[in-house]
Amino acid sequence: MKKRWRWPLAGFVLGALAGATVLTVNVVGASSPAPVAVRAGEFGEILHTPVLLAPAGKSVELSYDVVCGALKDEPGSHCAPSGSVFVRSVGGSTFAKLPLEREADGLLSAVVPAVDAGKGFDYYVVMDNGRGRTATLPEAGAEAPQHVWALTDWTTIDVGPAHFGRSRAPSSVLRELSWGRGDAAIGLDSGREQSRIGPSAFDVAPDGSVVLLDQVNHRLALLRRGAPAAHLPIEFSGGEGDLAVDRSGAIYVLDSANKPMVRAFTAAGGSIAATPVAEPTADMIRVGPSGPLVHSYPSEMWLRTGPGRPPLGPEQQLASAQAARSTGGGLGVVVHASPAEVKLALVRGHRVVHAWLLRAESSFGEVQLAEPFGDGMVVVVRLWNEKHAEFRVLRLVPEGLVQSFDVAPAEWAESASLSRFRLHGNTLYQLRSDPSGIEIATFEIGGTT
Amino acid sequence: MRRGLATGLLAGLVLGLLVIGTPAGAYHTHFQYGCNDTWFNHDPVTRAGARDYAYIAAAEGYQWGGGCWNGNNVDDSPGDPPADPNTLGEGGDCSGFTFKSWYERAETGDPWFRYHAWMQNVHGPYAAADFKAGAGASNTTVAKANTTYMDAFAASNHIGMIYWANTAFNQDRIIEAKCEACGTGTWPRTYRGNPDYSGVRRLYWAG
Repeated sequence: MKKRWRWPLAGFVLGALAGATVLTVNVVGASSPAPVAVRAGEFGEILHTPVLLAPAGKSVELSYDVVCGALKDEPGSHCAPSGSVFVRSVGGSTFAKLPLEREADGLLSAVVPAVDAGKGFDYYVVMDNGRGRTATLPEAGAEAPQHVWALTDWTTIDVGPAHFGRSRAPSSVLRELSWGRGDAAIGLDSGREQSRIGPSAFDVAPDGSVVLLDQVNHRLALLRRGAPAAHLPIEFSGGEGDLAVDRSGAIYVLDSANKPMVRAFTAAGGSIAATPVAEPTADMIRVGPSGPLVHSYPSEMWLRTGPGRPPLGPEQQLASAQAARSTGGGLGVVVHASPAEVKLALVRGHRVVHAWLLRAESSFGEVQLAEPFGDGMVVVVRLWNEKHAEFRVLRLVPEGLVQSFDVAPAEWAESASLSRFRLHGNTLYQLRSDPSGIEIATFEIGGTT
Repeated sequence: MRRGLATGLLAGLVLGLLVIGTPAGAYHTHFQYGCNDTWFNHDPVTRAGARDYAYIAAAEGYQWGGGCWNGNNVDDSPGDPPADPNTLGEGGDCSGFTFKSWYERAETGDPWFRYHAWMQNVHGPYAAADFKAGAGASNTTVAKANTTYMDAFAASNHIGMIYWANTAFNQDRIIEAKCEACGTGTWPRTYRGNPDYSGVRRLYWAG
C-alpha cells in the first residue's frame, strides 16, 4: 500500500467505528426495555353480565367470575375469590348483603329472592380475590349501582326463520369509497396475522351529511351530498373506535385504545375537549340528552362524559353511570340478549314503559341497533348459524311486529362491533364493505312489509 | 498527513452513521433485545389459569411474528411499522399470543402443556389459519355455538380467545393481539356470528 493512503484509511476506519459506537449507545442502548414492571398485586377484573330485565315474581340469579392479577412471571394457581352482592329493592333505602356461593361451573353467584326482586332492584358486588385485594363492580358501588327492571308484561315476537342470502337491496347508496389514503379513499389496516380493519364507525349529522371515522388515516371524512369528501385530521391512538354526532353538529369520537378516550370536536373539526374513560374497555358512544354516553366494561353501564369543556372526569363518570341508555324525553333503552332470546325495553326511571321478547329459529347474535321509533322501537339484530349470517331489521310497536326485512352483513372489513347501523329520521343507514372499499347504504323504515 | 487523516475520519463517520444509523432509526424500539428464552413443561392448567396468564398481556403491544411482553400495562413499542418482524417490538401477534396463552408446545405432535415466560420471545408453529383448521395435536375445531371461555374464534388472518362470553348486547369479550395500532387487549367482538370465523378449542385443560 502506498504511504499516502495510510492516514486517510486509518481515519476512515476510526470514523466508522466512532459512528457505529455513538449510534449503538444512543439509539439501541437508550431504547432497550426497562426492567419488567409487573402489575404485581393488582386485583385483576370482575366479570359479570348484568341481568337488566327479569320477569316480576321470580327470583333472579346474579353470576360473577374473576380474572386474577398475577404476582410474578410464573405459573400459579387461580386465586380463590369470595364476596357479597348488596341488593336494594326499588323503594328501599338500604342494601342487604347476600354472600356469593361457588357453583359447580366455577362461577360465584347469589340468588335475589322473588320478594325482593318483584319491583326491580339495584345491586353491586364487593369481591376479595383471596390475595388481599378487593374490588367493587360497578366501581361507584351504592352511589351508582347496577339496576334490574321487573317485567310484569311484555310483547313476545317470533321473528321467524333466517333467510340467508335473500336480503333486501338498499334504497340507495349514498357514497362509495375505495381503500387507500387519498382524498377519495378510506383507510384499511390489514396484514398477516391481524384483523382486517376498515373505518370503525359513522353517524349522520343534523343536515343529513355522513361523518365517517377514518381512524386508519387519523381523520374524519365528511360526506355531503353532491360534494367531494372533506377531511378533518384528528388525534387517534388506538386501532378502532366509535363516533356520534349531536344535534348541534358536535362530533364525539371514542378512541377504543387500551386506555380509552373520548374527544369532542366542533362540526368544523376544532377540538373542544378530551377525557379518559373511567373503565378499561369501551365499545360504543351515543348522544344522550345531556351529552355523549359511553358504554364501557366491565360494568356494561353507560357513562356520561359531558358535552363540553371541561368534560367529566373518570370519578364523575362512575358516579353518574346508568344501566339504561338515556335517549331523551325521560326515556331509556335497555337491551339484554342471548343466543336464544332478545329482551328489549323502553323505561322511564325504574318504570318499564313497554318491553318486547324476541324469539327465533336461528341463533341470535349481537343487537346492532335499538332506537326508540314512534311508540315502539327499531331494532337490528344478527341471525346466524355456523356458516351464514344476516341482519334482521325489526320495527316494533306495543302490539307487536309491523315491519321486518333482512340486510346482508357486508362485513368484509371490520368496523367497531356495534357501529354498522345508524337511524336518522325514517332512514336506516348501513356501513358496508367488500374487497374494493366501503359504501354507505340506506333503507327506508315505514309501511308494513 | 493531518489533512488525510481528517478527510478519512469524516468519510468514515458519515458512512458509519448512514450504514448503521438508517436501520437503527427506522426500527427504534428493539424491545426484544431484553426478552429471553425461559420456558418449562408443566402439568395441564385450567381455563381460568390460562385466562389469568393471558390477562397480563392486555394493554401490552402487538408485534407481527413477536412473542414477548413485560406486563407493565403499556405498549412499549407503539407505532412500529406493521407486519415487519425486524421492528422487534413488544407483544405477540394473534396466533403467537394464543399459542403462549394456551400453554402449547412447539412440537406439533405433543398435546401437553408448557409454561412460556411472559418475556420469552416465542411465536410457536401455528398461524391463525392453522388454528382455524384445528392443526396440531393440542387443538381441535368446535361449533361456535358450543364454545366457552378460553376457546377461540379463528379466521384465516386472525384469532382471538373468549375472555367472557355473551355480554348484554350478546357480543363476546375477546382477548386478542389485534393489530399494531390496537395492541393486545380485551374488546367486545362479534366473531361468533361472523361466518369468516370458526370455533377452535385447546384440548386437555385441567378444568
